[in-house]
Amino acid sequence: MRLLLLLLLALLSAPAWAQTIAITNARLIDGTRDEAGVTIVISGGKVESIASGGAAPAGARTIDAGGQPVTSTLFAAATQIGLVGLGGAPDTDDRGVTSGPLGAAFDVSRAVDPNALTIQEARAQGVSRAMIFPNAGNGVFAGTGALLHLDPGPDPVRKARAAMFASGDGKEAGGSRGAVWTLIRNALDEAKRPAGTGNAPRDDLLNPVDIAALQPVVAGRMPLAIAVNREADIRQAAAIAADYGIRVVIIGGAEAWRAADLLAARGIAVILDPLDELPFSYAVVGARRDNAALLAKAGVPIAFMVSGQGIYLSWDVGPALREGAGIAVANGLPYSDALQAITTAPARIWTGASTPALAPGAQADLVIWDGDPLEPSSAPAHVIIGGREISLETRQTLLRDRYHPGRRNDPLPPGYR
Amino acid sequence: MNRGVRHIAFAALLFAAACQTAFARPQPTPDAPPSEYRPLARHDMILAGATILDGAGGKTVGDILIRDGKIAAVGEIRDQRNAVRIDASGRWITPGLIDIHTHYGTFLLPQTAAELENSDVTETSSFNVADTWIEHAVRPADPAFSRALASGVTTLQILPGSSVLIGGRSVVVHPIPAVTLAQMRFPGAPQGLKMACGSNSVNDSSFPTSRQGQIAGIRRAFHEARHRMEEDDEDEHEDRDGRGHGRWDPRNATLIGAIRGELPVHLHCYRAEDIANWISALKEFGVRIAAVHHAAEAYKIAPLLAEEGVCAAVWPDWWGFKREAEDAIPENAAFVDAAGGCAIMHSDIPVVGGLLNLDAARAAAAGRRAGLDIPPKRAIRWITSNAARALGLGDRIGTIATGMNADLVIWSGDPFSIYSKPDQVIIDGAIAFDRSDPSRQPVPDFELGRPQREGIR
Repeated sequence: MRLLLLLLLALLSAPAWAQTIAITNARLIDGTRDEAGVTIVISGGKVESIASGGAAPAGARTIDAGGQPVTSTLFAAATQIGLVGLGGAPDTDDRGVTSGPLGAAFDVSRAVDPNALTIQEARAQGVSRAMIFPNAGNGVFAGTGALLHLDPGPDPVRKARAAMFASGDGKEAGGSRGAVWTLIRNALDEAKRPAGTGNAPRDDLLNPVDIAALQPVVAGRMPLAIAVNREADIRQAAAIAADYGIRVVIIGGAEAWRAADLLAARGIAVILDPLDELPFSYAVVGARRDNAALLAKAGVPIAFMVSGQGIYLSWDVGPALREGAGIAVANGLPYSDALQAITTAPARIWTGASTPALAPGAQADLVIWDGDPLEPSSAPAHVIIGGREISLETRQTLLRDRYHPGRRNDPLPPGYR
Repeated sequence: MNRGVRHIAFAALLFAAACQTAFARPQPTPDAPPSEYRPLARHDMILAGATILDGAGGKTVGDILIRDGKIAAVGEIRDQRNAVRIDASGRWITPGLIDIHTHYGTFLLPQTAAELENSDVTETSSFNVADTWIEHAVRPADPAFSRALASGVTTLQILPGSSVLIGGRSVVVHPIPAVTLAQMRFPGAPQGLKMACGSNSVNDSSFPTSRQGQIAGIRRAFHEARHRMEEDDEDEHEDRDGRGHGRWDPRNATLIGAIRGELPVHLHCYRAEDIANWISALKEFGVRIAAVHHAAEAYKIAPLLAEEGVCAAVWPDWWGFKREAEDAIPENAAFVDAAGGCAIMHSDIPVVGGLLNLDAARAAAAGRRAGLDIPPKRAIRWITSNAARALGLGDRIGTIATGMNADLVIWSGDPFSIYSKPDQVIIDGAIAFDRSDPSRQPVPDFELGRPQREGIR
């Protein structure tokens, strides 16, 4: 009897990805193609087949997409989900360090809370991948970011220390942008010196842990992401990429369109905010809504982050990314480029991987939408991550159901629902 | 979604539509300064063949006749003498959008470290700065105005910030190029009174240091104002110009204006219980709140708001960015609407001020997914007529009907689609922005001669 129970338990707890799912009547759009009437079969956590009008295999759970778009899940190229719970509440906020010894060595992967509502909400909005980045506040280097995969579970970190983040803000360098570039170059020089052959300690500006953290950058194994918007600063960042032979990614890049040819020639990617248009600061006086279109036309790899004065970075990241992509299309970016910028392009930018998003053998991370994913009125109808359909229930949907107008005459107060 | 409840919601909606409260038009206070705004050069027009969302809940295909800056007729309109016919077929027309919550010209762009530390958004020297008028801080050259205009906004309110309990008077303007505030001021629009509940206006050491202190603070202030008002009323026979002593005490003059219904009250308040407490406390003085702004939990008290005639101005799906927004949900506006209440989308930050139509699209779609019937013709009210009502301007702007100001947007397509743009933005019958005519695209002084804007138009 006990054995039977154990067997039963084992069966019940068999991984859900063992199930085969067939999505029929899908309009598959992945930024390289747009095909209607597609059947996608998912098995063992992977995409097994993609066929025009293919039949669902026997025994598969079938989801009729009803002709609606199916895309890869969204990839938030720069966000802070999992690092922050509530804004303005420092004890729920692990986005950055503002004192202590850590600079480049600050590692956000150790701060990730898989139970954070920012992760729950992002997942239900169709986000399955994210680069989370540290806030600057303790010098030029903010620390290392981590790549997340939002497959439900206790550890969403897929790659810790996946990129180094630096701030181009002169404030972090002592008061001048000029000092930013001196400090970054010096740090790279220090990290390049073979261990044990360093100068006397007084010549080192960095402590040993920060130097160690920067060594993958100078070895070309870790991209250096620099947050800059002003044209002159973007060109300084590009010069570092050339002088040190390292991979540089521009974060922000409001005036990047002015250096588009240089960035394209050096293969420097820009993660930009398509909503940038107003001169929010003197560093973004050249902001324009067709920045994305101009960069893409010049051949600069692009992905999106949508800030909304910081709110959309971590809350509503999914809808904000889609809205940003839509705004970019409304301002001249081809639809396919915009869709890639929020699905497949971030992986290329951060890891160099260039697997097509939805192809047989690929990890089954996809969204069935209830309309054009770039329209603000659309939302995910089904989200599949790692081959499993995940629940779209969030704390917000539970509040919605509890206070729904149709329940006004319930005999008991909302707290009992 | 609990499927069992979907259909009941429709009944609630119908009931709600029946209890829309009518509002008297507030007259500006006697001390309100005059407007020097003049409509731009204009000619009479017929906008022909557009899909019209009229802002009152209607959707038709037809023509609009604009004469002398007013809407003279809506329907099928034959050619008229001196009226230029504009083919708007295939395009959409809505009332000009109205943003009831901005800090344009005071949260001045670009922000520098100096402004971030010491801005003009709020006078913070006292918990009660009812005698401050935000219009005295507004720089009309803020580039945010021209971006709002290009996004279809024709009227907006500039509010004092939320750092103090009683923040002073607001001002309502058209976002047209101007050198002085008076040249933007919406003629005859009442100023508003801004107040703020909750965490932003709770202080560390000076009064009020708590929510209970805040309620005590407004009761104290309005008690004194009412006392002064009553004294004035008794003295009135000796007061030839009709201005009582209270009128000459600027702090009380503002609060008396609110008591008399001359200044619509705009309350910054997120949490349901806070909103309920403020409604109740202000009611003691006969003061009704026109709109609760940032009302993240309005959906929890939607019937109360509808019953009290209080509008809820909200964002589409912002949540979590502060403790008071922890329970915000995307269906907030839709639930307020379904209860028969007055839902409004507002911006607060400049980037959102150019996206009001998309915010309404998001919020309406969330409501539809929750089983509520919120088609575009209904959701457009959230950024037009409902907003007009909260400003006390519901009889002049916010709907497309004969006699209303000709404040209109001609959209390239469905205004709730991300791919649509305002082709023309019309204020008082004059084209204030035209996407295809550079001579009707204002450029802020700030942007002139900036090398990094070379080639941007």
